Amino acid sequence: MATRALPRAQARSALGTEVGAFLRHIDYLLLLAVGGVIAYGLWVLSAVTRNDIPGDSGYYLFRQEIYVAFGVLVLAVFTAVNPDVFRRYKRVLYGLAIFLLLIVFPLAENVRGSQRWIAFGSFNFQPSELGKVLLILFLAGFLADRSRRVGEWRVTWSVVGLAAIPIVLVFEEPDFGSALIYGCAAAAVLLFGGLPWKQLGILAALAALISLSMLWFLPAAGVDVLDQYQKDRLIGFVHPDVDPRGTTYNITQSITAVGSGGYDGRGVAGATQTNLDFLPEHNTDFIFSSLAEQRGFLGAAILLLLYALIAWRGIKIVAVAPSLFMAATAGAIVFTFLVQIFINVGMTIGIAPVTGIPLPFVSFGGSSMITTLAMIGLLEAIHVRGKLAGYK
Amino acid sequence: MRIAVVGVFAVTIFCVLFFRLWALQVISGQTYLEDARNNQVRTFRAPAQRGSIIDRHGNVLVSNVPSTVAQLWPAALDQLTPERREATLRRVARLLQVPYRRIERDLEKRKDDLLTPITVKNDVPDAKVNYLLEHQNDFPGVQISQGSLRHYDQGSIAAQVLGYVGEISQEQVDARKKAGYAPGDRIGQTGVEATYDMYLRGRPGIGRVYVDALGRVKSAREYEQLPEAGDNVRLTLDAGLQKTAEEALDYGIRIAHDDGRWAADGGALIAMDPNTGEILALASNPSFDPSIYVGRVKQGNLNRLGKSSQNHPTLDRAVSGVYPPGSTFKPITALAALEEGMVAPDELIQCTGKEVVDGQTFTNWDPYANEPMTMTTALAASCDTYFYQLGLRFYERKDSPLQKWARKMGFGAPTGVDIGPEEKGLVPTPNWRRRYFKTEIDKIWTSGDSVQLAIGQGDVLVTPLQMTRLYAMIASGGKLVEPHIVKSVEEPGNQGQPPVVLRPYAPKPPKDVRLDPGALRVVQEGLYNATHASYGTSSGIFGAFPIEIAGKTGTAEKFVRLPGYQGLQDQAWWCGYGPYGKPKLVVCALIENGGHGGVAAAPAALKVFEKYFKVDPNSYVSAVKNSD
Repeated sequence: MATRALPRAQARSALGTEVGAFLRHIDYLLLLAVGGVIAYGLWVLSAVTRNDIPGDSGYYLFRQEIYVAFGVLVLAVFTAVNPDVFRRYKRVLYGLAIFLLLIVFPLAENVRGSQRWIAFGSFNFQPSELGKVLLILFLAGFLADRSRRVGEWRVTWSVVGLAAIPIVLVFEEPDFGSALIYGCAAAAVLLFGGLPWKQLGILAALAALISLSMLWFLPAAGVDVLDQYQKDRLIGFVHPDVDPRGTTYNITQSITAVGSGGYDGRGVAGATQTNLDFLPEHNTDFIFSSLAEQRGFLGAAILLLLYALIAWRGIKIVAVAPSLFMAATAGAIVFTFLVQIFINVGMTIGIAPVTGIPLPFVSFGGSSMITTLAMIGLLEAIHVRGKLAGYK
Repeated sequence: MRIAVVGVFAVTIFCVLFFRLWALQVISGQTYLEDARNNQVRTFRAPAQRGSIIDRHGNVLVSNVPSTVAQLWPAALDQLTPERREATLRRVARLLQVPYRRIERDLEKRKDDLLTPITVKNDVPDAKVNYLLEHQNDFPGVQISQGSLRHYDQGSIAAQVLGYVGEISQEQVDARKKAGYAPGDRIGQTGVEATYDMYLRGRPGIGRVYVDALGRVKSAREYEQLPEAGDNVRLTLDAGLQKTAEEALDYGIRIAHDDGRWAADGGALIAMDPNTGEILALASNPSFDPSIYVGRVKQGNLNRLGKSSQNHPTLDRAVSGVYPPGSTFKPITALAALEEGMVAPDELIQCTGKEVVDGQTFTNWDPYANEPMTMTTALAASCDTYFYQLGLRFYERKDSPLQKWARKMGFGAPTGVDIGPEEKGLVPTPNWRRRYFKTEIDKIWTSGDSVQLAIGQGDVLVTPLQMTRLYAMIASGGKLVEPHIVKSVEEPGNQGQPPVVLRPYAPKPPKDVRLDPGALRVVQEGLYNATHASYGTSSGIFGAFPIEIAGKTGTAEKFVRLPGYQGLQDQAWWCGYGPYGKPKLVVCALIENGGHGGVAAAPAALKVFEKYFKVDPNSYVSAVKNSD
């Protein structure tokens, strides 16, 4: 199923016709959904951050708009460029990813115990966000090059090993959330690359074993892989009442904020959890809580439905992908997108660990916005190539 | 197939999220809304304005003044980097002239409660307030608020009577939780402030205020219970007479010094209405400035007060000091002897220079005396040997009648005055000796003990207030009053209206000691002669006073320990009243280590009579006589 017949040759035509065909085959519903989420996200961000910077109610909104503008350009470029170009230069991309993740350590400022951001003037660049796309492209390319040998343990272990290097690097920043996303990206590449179910099952079991041992077995043996705060956050969401003002403070406050929103929200002025700073990081990681508090179930549902629309279009694109490389890439993009939404939203409502993953298109932040738009650009590029190649 | 897996995954994710959101927001939304509301609500106690203390004429003694308070928000400081935090605290310390280490210590003490502000300094001057407000960015977590401080309108007068207000201790909270006291309250710790705290304190307000995550107040205060200002307490004290009494004590000590009494270093003086027990003046020397307890108490000031060289200025010697009464005790001996029929008023007893009792020699203060005396004369001349004879007669009786009468007249027990802590003194008995002493020889009550007690020496101890009450009893015809310092608890009247009395002080009715009027008259005459007859011990001072004063001197030996000295020192006493026959004021003065009562104490008492009866000091002649 993953390996398809080669696409039929396309008749060459004039440049104008080619551009016309290209534009005709763009998935406009996906663009509409993305545009909708971004517009909705900007509206949410402006309401949530209105009182954050005294005297400058538009501080975050203005910056986010610049990121969107830049991100749309990036999207256009990624749509236009044939993804096979990335496949050709996959080793460069991988090298770039490792390089970026390495220079974080000497360059990045320590923010709340973690080194994730590199400052470029007033813009803070987060390499782990860009690394996500780079890793997906590299792993998909690597696997596609060995398409005939997929299913051999040698290949599988190579993929796992190559994915493990950046995972360990972001883990050491420490950025547990990104490590988790990287792991999911690698798993998705293997899934859509056609790995046999048996191997997938074994890998899943191994992954479960490793996480369990990091959380319980190794600490019991005296080896601490995770910092205490990470463990507290990972396990804390299970028992938020244990320590209401300490580690689980964020979870409790977030759940209270979401719950207090009720059916149609408390409005911007009435959202006390947000306005009085009970909700930490309410412009980035916990922006969903603020949205839910201000706009209630209705407002949260609108956002989730828009996400669902994007996911649906994304899955359709996986289906029309013209090559194994593109299918694995598209599949990994859609999968990480879903995981990211689940972990971020789940974290704010107490069903997922607190890991500091941004909410795509809504959380304030340039790296995430631009990277996610680049991934949408990739999906569009794959869609166009698939359609041009005649896949329905 | 694999696409279907992702599709199922996506559907599952969105279903889970929707379900959970529905549960949180729609099903339990109301609960969380309550949580969110309570999250930002803090209850607070707003201290009520404390009542004022006024004198009997309505002159304000203690009131409140508004004060600007600088406070720190621990939660806001917690948000700063350690460097910025320390820099901020150091800036605060420098600006407000508060030790940096004390701020750190206060913050450390409150590290579990980050949401309650900590007062750094009371009474911040306006210039510094303005500086703080203009440089708010340099002082994160610092806020200015309004408080009120105790103010002593008449300076340091009546310091021991008024007492001071301080933060409640944990023991006090535990003992008075039921009365609505809570940690952080400021309550009266001594004097009237302590005794009448329940009226003065009012009722603290309880309210709610909306705060943000750092505990910063974000709304107006909503009261569930408004603070109710405390009631005023009107004292029986007369501010003018009190001031005179304190000056008179200083004067008495000065005279004692001039008389060569180097150790004279304190005393007490009480002026009281002998008919009602209302205390018009109650002075204790040395005194202190009560305003050192206002606001943030400086430990250095407290240490200075506690130094032995300061001679315990916070001790109210009038109620908490015990002294041998010396000759001022003689009226008790006289009354007891007359009541018991052991001597007749006109019986003549030889007053000699000394008396040998069981081989022990007891001297008279006047070694050259040698004449027969009646009781009146003996009292007026304060003949010790006369009273030694009475003492010997008491010694013959096994039921200790002198001690019995002394106790009837209120000795050996507190007077019940409404400020404390009150000492009860000591009336020594054979039983007491047996219990108190260890060695067999000391346990025996000897004739010498009876002889000594008859002239108010030996082990007997009294407070100046007990003596004042004794002389009030003699003046008023045998009634033992309950001394008190508070006249009423009242509410200030609205706009020029007279104040409303809420609770008048109701003293116990004076207790009739059931003295024989004849015996009492003998003693009264003795006291009158003491201030008027040529041989009277204070006639030089009171003889020419336009109002007829009757009173008795006392010079009591007491073993004292002073820094670098211990030995016997004479305590100077004078107690008396006037006008004779129609008493309106009783005064008792005591100068510690002041020497002769007639030299140091009587002139001090005279000053108070002068003030009370508005007598011009230059209108008559008063001369100190060196006597008992």
